[in-house]
Amino acid sequence: MAVIETHDLTRSFSSGTAVDRLTFDVEAGEVVALLGPNGAGKTTTVRLLNGILDPHGGSARVLGLDPFTQGDELRARTGVLTEHAGLDDRLTARENLMFTAKIRGLEARTAERRLDELLGRFGMADRSDDLVQGFSTGQRKRLGLARALMHDPDVLFLDEPTSGLDPTATRDVVELIGTLASEHGRTIVLCTHFLGEAGRLAHRMAVLHRGTLHAFGKPTDLASELWPHLEAAIDLGASAPADLLTFMRQVSGVQSAEPTPEGATLRVADRDALARVVTMLVGRGVDVFAAVPRPPTLEDVYFAIEAGITGTSVTAPLVESRALEVPA
Amino acid sequence: MSAVSLDHPKTARRAREPMDRQAIVAVFKKDLTAIRRSKAVVLPMLLVPTLLMIVLPAVIGFAARSQESFSLDRFLGSLPGDLARPILELPAKEQLVVLVNGYLLAPLFLIVPLMVSAVLAANAFAGEKERRTLESLLHLPISARDLFYAKMLVAYVPALLVSWIGFVAFAIVANTVAWPVMHRVFVPTQLWGVMIFWVAPAVAALGLAVMVRVSARAKTSQEANQLGGAVILPLIFLAVGQATGLLLVDLPVALAIGAVIWLVALVLIGGGAKRFTREELSSRV
Repeated sequence: MAVIETHDLTRSFSSGTAVDRLTFDVEAGEVVALLGPNGAGKTTTVRLLNGILDPHGGSARVLGLDPFTQGDELRARTGVLTEHAGLDDRLTARENLMFTAKIRGLEARTAERRLDELLGRFGMADRSDDLVQGFSTGQRKRLGLARALMHDPDVLFLDEPTSGLDPTATRDVVELIGTLASEHGRTIVLCTHFLGEAGRLAHRMAVLHRGTLHAFGKPTDLASELWPHLEAAIDLGASAPADLLTFMRQVSGVQSAEPTPEGATLRVADRDALARVVTMLVGRGVDVFAAVPRPPTLEDVYFAIEAGITGTSVTAPLVESRALEVPA
Repeated sequence: MSAVSLDHPKTARRAREPMDRQAIVAVFKKDLTAIRRSKAVVLPMLLVPTLLMIVLPAVIGFAARSQESFSLDRFLGSLPGDLARPILELPAKEQLVVLVNGYLLAPLFLIVPLMVSAVLAANAFAGEKERRTLESLLHLPISARDLFYAKMLVAYVPALLVSWIGFVAFAIVANTVAWPVMHRVFVPTQLWGVMIFWVAPAVAALGLAVMVRVSARAKTSQEANQLGGAVILPLIFLAVGQATGLLLVDLPVALAIGAVIWLVALVLIGGGAKRFTREELSSRV
């Protein structure tokens, strides 16, 4: 069942169209990453989905509610971590969270219990009575996440949750989000331009560019659409000589073979072709230490889509990348 | 899926919800706590009332006590007869105290509610943008109307409290210090009563109203204060007019001034409330 559905959702500003006829859906318990460079329309999409911006066209339903006309009802069931966390520096961590709890109508005792539980879980228990003013960006993000979870929301919108964080804090926050996604079947919309966290967390990805959705689906499905072949690394213990590369290229189903320091990278039609190559190499007396199919990474998919959009080469660094891998 | 028309999205109507008092009180208390901890807001808010309502009447009282007599005849002669006559009828030593603390200070006192409400309103409205807390506030389930009420209260209630507490302090200081000269309680007067309970609340509302409008465009509370600072000019004219006799603020005039200020403030607040929508606020974040 779709928890979020949009159809031709459109929003413009005086500077131009921020979201242009956006149509996609998010299933219950799913993590969907909105990917794209700055100005792609990710934050505007979240604002539209949570009803704090009015659409100029199209429609949206979140948890069966119309964000435009049932915004307060919807916001009672969603949690948001904004890019800047949005905590009041002049209040303590506890006061910031209690304020949110009161707005959300939580009873004082329930709020206190939940607050202690979340601060403890996010490693902030010892800072609960400190003013937020002295907090690092990582601590603010964790506190912002705790605040977004105070009322145990059904849908979580996370806008650039790791921006401005150092690698350790990034790892901590990504792990936290991963846990949040796997428990309670919580639906998460993750806006990011860091492919690492998207790769680790998202079930599906939506690639936005200048407000337009250019691709939407599982990274593996998008990859198979983009590349109907398979890449594989052959470990021969040393770079494959030219005659061996020519030999491999002649095997049925092999589209290309390029040398690497460890052996060669093959592009093959399918896994059977890879098996044929290994059999023929062994039959020729060549030592084969490993033959590992390498599925395209989320980064491969993203950059290929971006390259198609912008007409640049596939390797163009349109986005910052960290720890790239496709979710299993 | 309930669709919003491509052609007229803003015509769709949101259901009118009952007021959420708990949310209003939460915003009010949160902002007051934050203001209390902000020296940059609290100090100027207390400095002016202290000077006007405590230091000035004390100085006037001590001045009256330390001198044998003051010759205010020339100054009083330049004032309209209605203002000058009752003062001229007083003993010479009482004239300075009654003139300044009883009459001239009254319009000047209006700076207090105006300044406090304006500073707090700028902090409450533009300050949210400055601190980057506005967006997260908009993502909470509080209606724009309730948020507007809460922000209004955050600016208005302290402005009235500071004004009224300031006036009580003024009355105590003025009467106590001038007691050896006056031998009676001479403030509050009727004029002060009108100023405190009719004009000061109106002026506080005006400061608030101007800042609500200005804060919609300003990115920081400082910018809002600069843009809205001109609102103090009418009060300066009023005080100068009173001091020079160009405009005599007696009871009927004070009542009329209060009515005009209330009218202007309510019109401005009404306009500000209409523009205080999530759409308007979030598109400026």
